[in-house]
Amino acid sequence: MELWYTHLMRESIDQDSLLVQGNRACALGALDAGVRFFAGYPITPSSEIMEVMARELPAVGGVFMQMEDEIASICACIGASLTGEVSMTATSGPGFSLMQEAIGYAIMAEAPSVIVNVMRQGPSTGRPTTPSQGDVMQARWGTHGDHPAIVLAASNVADMYRLTIAAVRFAQRFRMPVILLADEIVGHMRESFSPEIAGRYRLTSGDFDFTETYTHPEMVREVHAPHELGTLIHPHVTGLIHDETGFPTNDPKKSEQFLRELHDKVVHHRDELCLYDVKNVGKGRVAVVAYGSCARSARAALKLAEQEGIPVEVLHLYTLFPLPVEIIQELARRVEFILIPELNLGQYAREVRRLAENWTTVVSMGRVDGNLITPRDIVDRLAELVGKYESS
Amino acid sequence: MAEREPNVAEEESTVAEPRTIDHYLHTDRFPHIWCPGCGLGTVTAAFLRAALELGLEKERTVVVGGIGCSSRAVGYLDFGTVHSIHGRALAFATGIKMAHPEFTVIVLTGDGDGAAIGGNHLIHACRRNLDITTILFNNNVYGMTGGQASPQTGMGGIATTAPFGFDEPSFDLCRLAEAAGATYVARGTSYGVRQLQRLIRDGITHPGFSFIEAVTQCPTEYGKRNPPKGPVQMLENLKEKAIPRKKAEGMTPEELEGRIVTGLLHRDESVPELTASYARMLERVRGSADE
Amino acid sequence: MSEALTLTAGLLSSREYVEVRFGGSGGQGVILMGVILAVAGTRDRRHVVQTQSYGPEARGGYSRSDVVLANAPIDYPQVQGLDLLVALSAEAAAKYSDMLRRTGFLIFDSDEISSPPLVEATSYGIPFSRLAIETTGRTQTTNILALGAVAGLTGVVSVASLEKAVLSMVPKGTEEMNLNALRRGLSLTPEEWRRPSA
Repeated sequence: MELWYTHLMRESIDQDSLLVQGNRACALGALDAGVRFFAGYPITPSSEIMEVMARELPAVGGVFMQMEDEIASICACIGASLTGEVSMTATSGPGFSLMQEAIGYAIMAEAPSVIVNVMRQGPSTGRPTTPSQGDVMQARWGTHGDHPAIVLAASNVADMYRLTIAAVRFAQRFRMPVILLADEIVGHMRESFSPEIAGRYRLTSGDFDFTETYTHPEMVREVHAPHELGTLIHPHVTGLIHDETGFPTNDPKKSEQFLRELHDKVVHHRDELCLYDVKNVGKGRVAVVAYGSCARSARAALKLAEQEGIPVEVLHLYTLFPLPVEIIQELARRVEFILIPELNLGQYAREVRRLAENWTTVVSMGRVDGNLITPRDIVDRLAELVGKYESS
Repeated sequence: MAEREPNVAEEESTVAEPRTIDHYLHTDRFPHIWCPGCGLGTVTAAFLRAALELGLEKERTVVVGGIGCSSRAVGYLDFGTVHSIHGRALAFATGIKMAHPEFTVIVLTGDGDGAAIGGNHLIHACRRNLDITTILFNNNVYGMTGGQASPQTGMGGIATTAPFGFDEPSFDLCRLAEAAGATYVARGTSYGVRQLQRLIRDGITHPGFSFIEAVTQCPTEYGKRNPPKGPVQMLENLKEKAIPRKKAEGMTPEELEGRIVTGLLHRDESVPELTASYARMLERVRGSADE
Repeated sequence: MSEALTLTAGLLSSREYVEVRFGGSGGQGVILMGVILAVAGTRDRRHVVQTQSYGPEARGGYSRSDVVLANAPIDYPQVQGLDLLVALSAEAAAKYSDMLRRTGFLIFDSDEISSPPLVEATSYGIPFSRLAIETTGRTQTTNILALGAVAGLTGVVSVASLEKAVLSMVPKGTEEMNLNALRRGLSLTPEEWRRPSA
């Protein structure tokens, strides 16, 4: 069989090892996943993704466009996507804000595309080279109206490669935009990893192989047949509420049915979409739920805490939305409290709290000074909480 | 990527019965949303007659609209049609055309959609010289939202958001397009439908970015507040104010004040079209990669 | 390898988890030092994470590049303390020496830093700038020469991997010159590195 991860392997230092920058790995994942249309606008700290695409897409006959702004970038991607191309754009906070209306259009029109947001500190211009996880709820609810969302979060360079492939496959299968969140640290770091794990995840949630099982993803067809401009099959695309013909409708029944089906196609496939990994299952009195860079701190904290006599369970989430409802609720039943370290003021902690508060105490640990939360920070907070619990 | 071929019938249509513009219409979607006396249908029909003349294939033609009364036309057209978001039709069209250069891509937009919210996309689309034909329906007002001022309302014009008269000058959209790099620029009116049809037809066959301003009337939201009142009077006004480019050339700016200069205003075939130059770049890159 | 170097070589290579920082001013090639060390570490089959200062921080005179090398997958990506600080400017030495562990190493350019910070870590001052000029005639090779010295003194990466890494990362046409600088750094004599009086 022909090697499918050819773009990745060109980076190899020798046959067994790679050292790749996070943003570069993301672009290579897109190329290996078959993305052949990229439109973007430069913004720190995501620009390397578009620079790699600019250099590599022509060689595979793809289209690269530097657009006049991020709105045009996402719109060009949707346009290409409506002709059957797999399209992608990459940006950071300010650009992601500009894209929101069009993301809603892509959800409504069921146009597959991948949007990478390498998060920086906001709001507004914020601190452009400073890592943050401040766009988590924007990724979920940034565009107006009730809508579904698929949001993934990368914690290392291998993730940047693998989750980009996952995002492409999910976009194709569920016919909607998929948002991949990274942060400045993950985007800019160089990290070694083995090509063996390219495209694959061995997780508590099961083994995921986005290369083989997803090579020809069967579309989830709960809503409409796919658009493909140029075929006259389902030829009209609109952001208005529409019926199965693709044309607008004002029928209340059909409107509700349409919106519910948009949601259900995601919610009904939560098992498939929710990628996660639990360390120390059932062994901890307390748990840390984390994603992105903070998941790395949490994993390091687990080892440190063990040495200090605090058994901890760590739930590392690769999929933030749809919410891994069952996974969090099962965890909540097992532990005395859940600590959520995030580079924001507790955005995801709120989500976890409303899922888990019937069974356990959820404690938010936010940091917004531009530095990562260290393993020591987490262990100290855990010790404090365990102490507090015991003394009460 | 597919080879670039002109989507134009080489000879006269061989279909036995002469086609009417119904060939390109979803007549089952009628009645349309446009008001009695509105000029948008007239401009749309001029486009469809141009399409008939050229024998555009439905499968290979994509029409993209933004948001507004004019952009709603795409909902009645039997091509591949995209009713996109406000101001961004050209950005959508750019993605479509770059992904499939063999498609004929038409953008229908309005003065609010194209010149206000979408103004930046318009000038960049002109600059890129991508083979897209843009028909901007200019009726001087936001009609769908109920008569607010647009960049083309004009000094002194009355609108719901300019109740004491609009204080801002308008764009000369054709000069804007030309300065931004459009390689085919023309203006017509919904009175001069045959001229408009010809201008649109030539714009579609022009290999590069074509911009056609179609000046038209909105009796409901503009005419209600600004003279002359009524669709017939507004059309007569368009007829009186329109002046062919050739004739206008010998006139002073004072004489041209308030006139609508019509016809082909600018054409330049020397500028490379984007999909063609992109294809050449691909060949160059892939050729050197093979060496 | 000289006798002097074998005294300490292997000290860092035997540690399971090593945190390294290169610090200097913009233009000294500090970022490249980090990347080359990361490539060499990867070649040594170690797990490696390399991070660096970006944007305004990178242009404010300071430049910094961190590398974590480990035998197992690396969780926390940034340095939490330093086993090795390589300082090419006085500012970098002063700014980062607090993070050095007692068991760590401070290696600095003694041409640039006349009064190095007092640290509990093992400290070596080496005239990198002068040695680079003598060896290749180009100050631009100071960083590569320093990398050679660092590898020779601490064994943080293997010499074979480092040579390959340098060859793959330096601009085309400068390979020979940089290799000379690297080898000069690897073959320092005890007279060329000295421990400051503690």
